[in-house]
Amino acid sequence: MKKRLAGFGLAAILALSTAIVGCSSQSSTTTAPKQEQAAQGTTAPAANDTGEKVLTFASGSDIVSFDIHDHNNTSTEAVHVNMFNYLVKKDKNQKVQPDLATSWEIVNDKTWRFKLREGVTFHNGDPFTAEDVKFTLERIAKDQKLLEYGNYKQIKEVKIIDPHTVEIITNESEPVLLNRLSRLGSSMLPSKYIKEKGWDEFLKNPVGTGPYKFQEWKRDDRLILVKNDQYFGDKPKWDKLVFRAIPEDATRVAELMTGGVDIAVNIPPSDMERIESNEGTHAVTGPTQRVMQLSLRTTPGTVTENPKVREAIDLAIDEKAIVDNILAGGGTPTRTRVTAGNFGADPELYGKSLYDPERAKQLLAEAGYPNGVDISFSATSGRYLKDKETAELIQAMLAEAGIRAKLDLLEWSKFNDTYKAKKFGEVFMISYANSMFDASLAFDRLTTERAKGESDYSNPEVDKLLKEAEKNMNLDERAKQYVKVQEIIAEERPQIYMYQMNANYGVSDKVNFEPRLDEMLFADEVTKK
Amino acid sequence: MRQYLLKSLLQIIPVLFLISIIVFVLVYCTGDPVSLMLSDTATDEDRRILIAALGLDQPLYIQYFTFIGHLFQGDFGNSFRYDMPALPIVMERLPATFELAIAAMLVATVISVPLGILSATKRNSFLDVLFSGSSVLGKAMPHFWLGIMLILLFAVELKALPVSGRGTLAHLILPAFTLGTGIAAEMTRLIRSSMLEILNQDYIRTARSKGLLESIVVYKHALRNSMIPVVTIMALQTSTLIGGTLITETIFSWPGMGQLIIQAVNTRDMAIVQAAVFVVAILVIFSNLLADILYRVLDPRIKYN
Repeated sequence: MKKRLAGFGLAAILALSTAIVGCSSQSSTTTAPKQEQAAQGTTAPAANDTGEKVLTFASGSDIVSFDIHDHNNTSTEAVHVNMFNYLVKKDKNQKVQPDLATSWEIVNDKTWRFKLREGVTFHNGDPFTAEDVKFTLERIAKDQKLLEYGNYKQIKEVKIIDPHTVEIITNESEPVLLNRLSRLGSSMLPSKYIKEKGWDEFLKNPVGTGPYKFQEWKRDDRLILVKNDQYFGDKPKWDKLVFRAIPEDATRVAELMTGGVDIAVNIPPSDMERIESNEGTHAVTGPTQRVMQLSLRTTPGTVTENPKVREAIDLAIDEKAIVDNILAGGGTPTRTRVTAGNFGADPELYGKSLYDPERAKQLLAEAGYPNGVDISFSATSGRYLKDKETAELIQAMLAEAGIRAKLDLLEWSKFNDTYKAKKFGEVFMISYANSMFDASLAFDRLTTERAKGESDYSNPEVDKLLKEAEKNMNLDERAKQYVKVQEIIAEERPQIYMYQMNANYGVSDKVNFEPRLDEMLFADEVTKK
Repeated sequence: MRQYLLKSLLQIIPVLFLISIIVFVLVYCTGDPVSLMLSDTATDEDRRILIAALGLDQPLYIQYFTFIGHLFQGDFGNSFRYDMPALPIVMERLPATFELAIAAMLVATVISVPLGILSATKRNSFLDVLFSGSSVLGKAMPHFWLGIMLILLFAVELKALPVSGRGTLAHLILPAFTLGTGIAAEMTRLIRSSMLEILNQDYIRTARSKGLLESIVVYKHALRNSMIPVVTIMALQTSTLIGGTLITETIFSWPGMGQLIIQAVNTRDMAIVQAAVFVVAILVIFSNLLADILYRVLDPRIKYN
């Protein structure tokens, strides 16, 4: 009897504790998600209960810093563009437009003059003047420790002509200066504020000239920006922007599907259909500046020294099949790294693939390998979207044509060590971006000097064309020089370009969002439905 | 007692010194941060300049001594990624991690104490088998799987709880359950066996023979004594808890130290990794010390030597 009583007592305690657990979750289910979150303005999408227009983005990583010169992170810059302005900006079609500079002219080969917009103020009230341009650009052009130094060391000095006119003097002639000034590293900083309060204060309370100003940053959680009523351009469309960092893909997708965020970036291809079929969300994909490619050795003594073998490799790979099957359609086959939207792009080579396995076999036979050939093939694992799967499919495709590739999949830091030491075998796979939107960056590893030890490619004509184009201020002629280089590279194949990679987004049906080629997230280009 | 404490504290110094070497060498072995900092299109010259600027061209032992020298001043160096002193970045994450860890411990206690007692008193019954089975399952479920399943069920399907982030009590529930389940499983088994051992003791038989109510026997005489090993084991769970936060915080984008460590390792942010491992080491050392003291306080039979 007593035993039974004790048993009941225990059961009651168990029931009670279960009830406590149940209650605590239940009480919070009913109150917390809706009301408290709305009050905090954290996850309420598009417009919350108070009528405030909030736009929430989710990306895989948080911004790294507000030091606009000391990162080379596209996802960080995608956020910064809402707080800061460049001298010139690129519109949706990547055409250069006035921003903090209203007009510009080329004074001579090494001097550009910019007329600055008047009446612009930083978020703290300081006026924007030529001093700020000098401070910003000379810092990045001179401080070797800054991560973007390499892209701005071309600038020699910034001369102040009057408070709203500057001249930018470059070391050599700089045909791509406008491209440089409309990208990461060129946001104008408040010189007076930083000089008076110091960098630490700026990094804690950053001010820019942009449509949204800083409110709060909880590292690796969220960054909150609010609209700047004093903005010099069109009135900001949103009251508040929230940029959330959600590293786990599945969680990011779940947040989107439950309405916690409006736009989620970096969606795995496998989740695109789920987002599309979910009520209230849709999937959007758009091209980026990243191109997946193979780099081939032309080094004497390697099998790929023979141009026919290189051509056979190219013809054996079905780029469209890779894009369709592995990336769920998220990519565009290309035969050039200078894709549409870049200066000097050759439209003839974009959107094309030369897949022809029969011809590949024939070429191998002509090259003296009727029984096939062995090559080594290195690729990354986990660095790029589906890189391992892509490399494995390429290996299978090459085998069909009689090219037996020994695939070596490497984790990035290991891959990178070999890459820097230039110790890969015949072929390695890598993806490059082009933040400069200019052909020059696409061929920087193909001059005789830079290719040495890597592809060992050397073509005096290419060297000459690249050298001339680099400093050519006649833009029409410069574009033609790059088109010519692309034709030669597509023919001689020291690198085989495979496909341009897409960026995948999940978007709430409450907003209109069109991805940009540069992957920037300009909030004012997003509209409420 | 005082002598014992002093001795324990002194023992921490060589442990920390060893940890400093291990951390330094491990981070050094796993790769070079410069390649990860620069873009893929950076030239060799860009690399050389940055390596020199960061002092990474110095011989390894010089780098280590510089590191140790700064360490004595509480300076772990600047985070490459954030360009800020590493220690404050780590410390700023501690409250979030503590919040999650304490909540997980609460969840574990609330689940395990009743289940453990019930399993022991109803030994070999259906419930006992059920609970023991569940605790094996709870221990075996990886955090990342459980976390994502909980999100899918409670946030996506039932729309009852928020998916991720930190803020309200509701945000805490799913991560706390994810982290707490494994510990609950372990504690249930521990409480069960500890209870069983105590229930077979002579003094329990004496208590029963005095005609005491079974509930008084179980709660007053057995439970208290069976809690001695449990309490110390709970204090020793600190390292399991912190290990669990690495995954749990990443899944729920909980802005704590676990998520910070994962990202710092991925980006080879040495200063952060070193600072965080040190902080974790100190936490674990002190919780072990606390467990030791608790054990002695709860059970006066144990002597200090």
